[in-house]
Amino acid sequence: MTHARTRPRPVPPAEVRARLGEPEGRVKDKILDHIDDQFRRFIAHSPFLTMATADAAGRADCSPRGDYPGFVKVLDAHTLAIPDRPGNRIADSFRNLAENDGIGLLFLIPGMRETLRVNGSAYPTDEPEVLARMQTEARQPKLAIVVEVAEAYGHCGRALIRSRLWDPASQALAGEMPTMGEMVAEQLGLDIPPAQLDQALQENYRHLY
Amino acid sequence: MQQTVIDRIEPVAEDVVSLTLRGTDGPLAPWEPGAHIDLSLPNWLTRSYSLCGDPADRERYRVAVRHDPLSRGGSEYVHRFLRQGRPLEVSLPRNHFPLLPAAEYLFLAGGIGITPLLPMLRAAAGAGVPASLVYVGRTTASMPFLDELRSRHPGRVRVAATRRDGRPDLAALAATLHPDALVYCCGPAPMLAAAQAAFPAGQLQVERFRPAARTFPANTPFEAVCARSGRTVQVPADTSLLDALVHAGLPVASGCREGVCGSCELALLDGEPEHRDDIGAPRGRMYPCVSRAVSERLVVDL
Ligand code: FES
Repeated sequence: MTHARTRPRPVPPAEVRARLGEPEGRVKDKILDHIDDQFRRFIAHSPFLTMATADAAGRADCSPRGDYPGFVKVLDAHTLAIPDRPGNRIADSFRNLAENDGIGLLFLIPGMRETLRVNGSAYPTDEPEVLARMQTEARQPKLAIVVEVAEAYGHCGRALIRSRLWDPASQALAGEMPTMGEMVAEQLGLDIPPAQLDQALQENYRHLY
Repeated sequence: MQQTVIDRIEPVAEDVVSLTLRGTDGPLAPWEPGAHIDLSLPNWLTRSYSLCGDPADRERYRVAVRHDPLSRGGSEYVHRFLRQGRPLEVSLPRNHFPLLPAAEYLFLAGGIGITPLLPMLRAAAGAGVPASLVYVGRTTASMPFLDELRSRHPGRVRVAATRRDGRPDLAALAATLHPDALVYCCGPAPMLAAAQAAFPAGQLQVERFRPAARTFPANTPFEAVCARSGRTVQVPADTSLLDALVHAGLPVASGCREGVCGSCELALLDGEPEHRDDIGAPRGRMYPCVSRAVSERLVVDL
């Protein structure tokens, strides 16, 4: 099946700055090259982050990671460790990191409008002392991702305010969506009752570690 | 569960803070020396700490927490992020390490292992029973409550800072002990092992903060029948009974998940368990975070 494509007109890079104006003052100043006590506290309370990596050609990929608050360990002011857990599609990230060690993280705290961005370079580790700190449900991850921090900064809350992300009423949006089983059955043209797919998925979700 | 608020949080030794928790819904539940409580931390983790305050004080609990460099997020959270004035939910006290009657007591504390022994020494001394404490740590700076102990129990406390004094000779201590004395030991694994080598098993009571290193027979799958809910849960070889029950949506509490804290305790109605905990499960009880089954089926009260 082919789909019609739209291609809105691009703005040349040189013109973008002219359109948006200079970045707000002090934006540059608030970028730290390490994790200070405030950011450490942020990470200790964050149960969720998105992680962006790219392959050698720069093809980018972004994936979610989550666990109990503080699941990302701050090993020192310049080094973080993120546990590998099932369902993280970690293979994608590891394949990317093997080619290109750049990484971008966005930490979220439920109820908090501001987010924390951390960029740097990353590699996988199996260091026992790191994995021991990540044990949950009596299981240690097999690998963790070590992030060497290059920049860390708070991101203002406008996007989260506009999106009403933490407003309980926003959860009604999920009710407008088909179930995952319905989506997958349609997308893949499966002849399996969606309820059965949903149940299998539910079973799967029972094993989080 | 009991509601408290953090009244005070203060350093009491290198890497050790003490927390004073004040009950906010009337008097706190009573406790006996050796008891511990679970703290429900804001990062969703539950951690157990021995009560080391005064059992007669029904308004406050005191615990002391050492920052474990391999912290999974419990002691690190307490040290870095808890603040005075914050509300904190705590469990009712539980006691797997009670002070039994004896003609004499010898308390052996290693570092933060002093916490359950502190109220024990006080109770024994108060009851007029001969009691002494041998308190071992790397350096005196790493040992909490030294001043308090020395001033409250002059002549009963012997301090051994191993960097300076080496390790105390436990065999020599054992030789001079009353035959009906009891020895209470709490400390790191090597210290517990030394105490087990020096004192007869019937005379020694130990409490661990991490499980003893042991090997168990290979896991086998079994079935857990939950008598109250009528549910039957399969426990695969690679899953703990606790996780299998929780995955099935059954309400079981947990803390350490290592068989040392007792917060996951279940009543066992039928079947033969394979106890793997370090608490010493009483008859008819088991700790599903680590323990499994010898029989193919266990019936639990859930
Ligand atoms: S959770 Fe601590 S003994 Fe089971």
